[in-house]
Amino acid sequence: MSTDAERDADAGMDGPTRFDQVDWEAYADGRTAAVSINTALFALTVAPVLALAGYDWYAVGERAATFEALGRDAGLAWVFEPLGIDFALTIVDYAFGVTLLLFVWYLVVPLYQHPRITAYYWRRFRRNRPALVSLGWLSVVFVGGLLGPLVLNAPEQNVLAGHQPPVGLAVDEANVAQCVGEVVDGRCRGTWQYPLGTTRGGIGVFKGVVYGMTVSMQIAFITTTIVAGTGITVGTVSAYAGGWVDEIAMRAVDVVLSFPTLLFFLLILYVYGAGLGTFIVVFSAFGWGGTARYVRSKALSVSEEEFVTAGRLSGASTRRVVRRHVVPNTASSIITQLTLLIPGFLLAEAQLAFLGLGASGITSWGQLIAAGRSDLAFAPWIVLAPGIVLFLTILACNFLGDALLDAVDPEATTEADR
Amino acid sequence: MGLARYVALRLGWAAAVSLVIVTVTFGLLAAAPNPSVQEAATQAALEGGDPQEAVERERQLRGLDEPLHVRYLDFLTSIYTLEWGWSEYRSQPVTAALLDAVWYTAQYSIPWTILTVLLGPLIGVYSAANMYTWRDHAATGFAFFGYAIPNFFFGIVLLLIFGVWLEWIPIVYRTDVPAVSLANARQLVVPVFVLVTGSIGAIMRVSRNESAAFRNATFMKTARAKGVSPLRAYAYHVMRPTLVPLSTTLVGQLLAIFLGSSLLVEVVFGIPGLGRLTFNALVAQDTNLVLGSTLLFTFLAVVGNLLEDLAFTVLDPRISYDDREL
Amino acid sequence: MTDDEPLLRVESLRTTFDTDAGELVAVDGVDFEVRAGETVCLVGESGSGKTVAVESITGLVDQPPGRIEGSVRFRGTELTDLPAEELRSHRGASIAYVFQNPQDALNHCYTVGWQVIEAVRVHEDVSKSAARARAIDLLDTVGLADPAGRMDAYPHQLSGGEKQRVMIAMALVTEPDLLVADEPTTALDVTVQAGILRLLDDLQAEYGMGVLFVTHDLATVSRIADRVVVLYAGKVMERGGVFDVFERPAHPYTRALLACLPGAGGVDAAGGAARGGIGGSLPDPTDPPDGCRFAPRCDHAVASCSVGDQPPAVELAEGHAVSCVHYDAGDDPAALSDVSRASAGSEPTSTEDAIDDE
Repeated sequence: MSTDAERDADAGMDGPTRFDQVDWEAYADGRTAAVSINTALFALTVAPVLALAGYDWYAVGERAATFEALGRDAGLAWVFEPLGIDFALTIVDYAFGVTLLLFVWYLVVPLYQHPRITAYYWRRFRRNRPALVSLGWLSVVFVGGLLGPLVLNAPEQNVLAGHQPPVGLAVDEANVAQCVGEVVDGRCRGTWQYPLGTTRGGIGVFKGVVYGMTVSMQIAFITTTIVAGTGITVGTVSAYAGGWVDEIAMRAVDVVLSFPTLLFFLLILYVYGAGLGTFIVVFSAFGWGGTARYVRSKALSVSEEEFVTAGRLSGASTRRVVRRHVVPNTASSIITQLTLLIPGFLLAEAQLAFLGLGASGITSWGQLIAAGRSDLAFAPWIVLAPGIVLFLTILACNFLGDALLDAVDPEATTEADR
Repeated sequence: MGLARYVALRLGWAAAVSLVIVTVTFGLLAAAPNPSVQEAATQAALEGGDPQEAVERERQLRGLDEPLHVRYLDFLTSIYTLEWGWSEYRSQPVTAALLDAVWYTAQYSIPWTILTVLLGPLIGVYSAANMYTWRDHAATGFAFFGYAIPNFFFGIVLLLIFGVWLEWIPIVYRTDVPAVSLANARQLVVPVFVLVTGSIGAIMRVSRNESAAFRNATFMKTARAKGVSPLRAYAYHVMRPTLVPLSTTLVGQLLAIFLGSSLLVEVVFGIPGLGRLTFNALVAQDTNLVLGSTLLFTFLAVVGNLLEDLAFTVLDPRISYDDREL
Repeated sequence: MTDDEPLLRVESLRTTFDTDAGELVAVDGVDFEVRAGETVCLVGESGSGKTVAVESITGLVDQPPGRIEGSVRFRGTELTDLPAEELRSHRGASIAYVFQNPQDALNHCYTVGWQVIEAVRVHEDVSKSAARARAIDLLDTVGLADPAGRMDAYPHQLSGGEKQRVMIAMALVTEPDLLVADEPTTALDVTVQAGILRLLDDLQAEYGMGVLFVTHDLATVSRIADRVVVLYAGKVMERGGVFDVFERPAHPYTRALLACLPGAGGVDAAGGAARGGIGGSLPDPTDPPDGCRFAPRCDHAVASCSVGDQPPAVELAEGHAVSCVHYDAGDDPAALSDVSRASAGSEPTSTEDAIDDE
């Protein structure tokens, strides 16, 4: 199954008109020199990110904020200050940037490059209403996560403003140290300053939720990218190479799958201490087992398809067959499977944060829930708001994954089938 | 190869996997600075003594100055002979502490496992039998909900509603209540409910999708053509084949949830089980207990995977042991 | 029930499915009957609706949702009026089925013995040991070697032919009056086919069953049928005794089918030219053509073939009817032969062209 580009090239050339006259090796050689436009643009856009990272690593001290330093050294302070860009970037932020760009250039833009297939998938996808709603919700989380920190200041502690109720609700005055809103009939009312109320420490729950979105997005993108990369590579190579390579790879997968990841993270936390970066690394390191197995079984069934045999019979090299035939045919199922992995990672982070063992220094949904647990009886919004948001996000990922499965793999029966 | 040989090989492999994990754990611990050694150094420094000397003395005391392979072998032998050392945090042997905790964990995890394994496939097949009707949508909605809602969040909310507001269940878990009693059941019903709703969703979805395929299988038509009643047809001809693919994910799913959720459920409800023990041991930096806990969970996982593999092989008569990969 | 009353009489059977693509009428007004002791073959190409027709008799069809209309009288009882439970009591008891693919028709999780015993115990209230004895007996009757030993074998351990014999054994449990066999030999090797056909023949003689045999293979039909019903796109094109239909095929479709038989020679009995196949393809079942369903592919089609409904059946001889305008009163069927010769020059003659048409 050749790509659109390949077919176009074939049509354009005054090439051979018979199947057996095609010189596959020439094509293979020719192709390796050319680089797809996606890769070129990706390289272009990722370069500044990497450059900034390098600068941050070498030139900026640990305590200094990245952009502040950049503003000073590159004389760009006049650009950054008015915009309020003065925060520090961490490794996680850079990794997030890289994976975002990968996502854009290799997943989103190809949708525009192949409009026919996209329209077909979209038509099928559209029939599933819960999935559409889910997509909408996830977009909100995505945008919120990306833009939130830029638009809103970091949540700050303000003990005096602790336990404020959300806007529209009112609680007993005795429960709050000082009421930011009006006090009516002995009840403190919520204000728009803190739309979802505040925690005991006076942190606005709404802001906390938005910053939590950023954390969740980072986790989702980075872990999924690493898991995808490792899992797909191991799976396809294993399936295609077969023999002892396959055996060893699958034994490794067995071991990885048997690792109690959460406990191992706790162990590492106990021994070395951990931040969000460590969390991401540990969970992706032990999370690719299932994907590898899944990819392998899919790749095996594709390899058995006749068109792969046809490709090999006409002389295509192994690498070519894998890249051009096996991977594209399994890609859609893999994407679906990955969508279903994300909730697991988000949940793990929330669980850890809830236990007080989460990555330090970040505001996440799990931490908010943990913060509000003791005040549950009289200030339930602290727990409910992030909890419901987390629940909805996990639910949305599941619906989305299910709908993708339906749109992409017609032979699988799913919820939305009809 | 016969079933016996296959089982033996699989057991061997399981042992090998556990060995690998134990080794990695050892490596992790050996590479890390031992807290008691550091403590000794700090102590010495505070008292005006020589920290370096204190460190060496401490290391000698703890046998940390032995060559690595000796330590490793010691480690291995003690692990496999179940001499897991002394827990400082609990002032009892590690094995004793673990057994104590397992007792409480078992009280909720066994009912939970039984319920999930029984109800999950049943609801799934029922859903497939009534596909696309409101019953199916309700069941699937329930499954999605249970699967998506974080266990600890759900637990907290239920505790709030039923414990604080309605006072139907006790908020504080009591260990002095006899295991088989109404009082114990009352305090365990919500934890078990939370866990079941979490795990049943996934199982039910898989069994629904798998049995949906079998529902239209030719052998189902044969059964119906024979005059078999719909109920019997579903029970025997759909359920049984469904167990085959289901068994490949069942154990894995349960284990994953068990390992992750047990800790959280115990923290939320105050049950002094295995998860809580591990957590507290971590916080107290009780190395031996942490190690013991991790290993126990790991062995559980290995055994679980083994059982799952064996179940799958036994359930599908078509699988020849020669073809089966290890 | 008198001797005249057929075992099974199907009238105006119409089975419709509601699909995403619209309403699909798989069987559109089909009539046929089966008498005790006789073998009726339902013939047609894939997609002609023959499987749906026979499965509609006992309501065995289900996915996707749809409805069955018309009359199905079995031993005088109107089956379409029966509630589901009662209809089920007929299945396996008085009307038994044998399906095409023995590979899939047996449940891979249970032994062969278990499945036969299940068939026994559904209909007879007997002890396990008695059921087992019965099952062994049945397996012996269908010619399975070492029946007692085979009881504990799993389906995947049996060959195709053996599996099909097991299927037949299950069908025979209650000595049914009607045996419906849906392409039972299609999935088997040719050498095995003969054995199964012979078995069915012997069983029919012994039990006096009526057999409704669905197939697309005319060679098989010529061997076993007493009467033939030719289906195309959900409608009956021709029906009659096997000799009548084979020696004096009336409908152009029947002739074309016969001409497709290997060894039919360059020219068939009615003078139609031989070709690699029948050009064209089945009509869209959600939007069938007006008039005769076969008209778009028929060499002898005239204007009146494409208007109105399928031409009503015209009785040519005792029990031999055909649905074709060329046999209407006033029309000269002999023209069919002339017409075919006249148009021989203008037909597509190459196989390649025929393939291109599809």
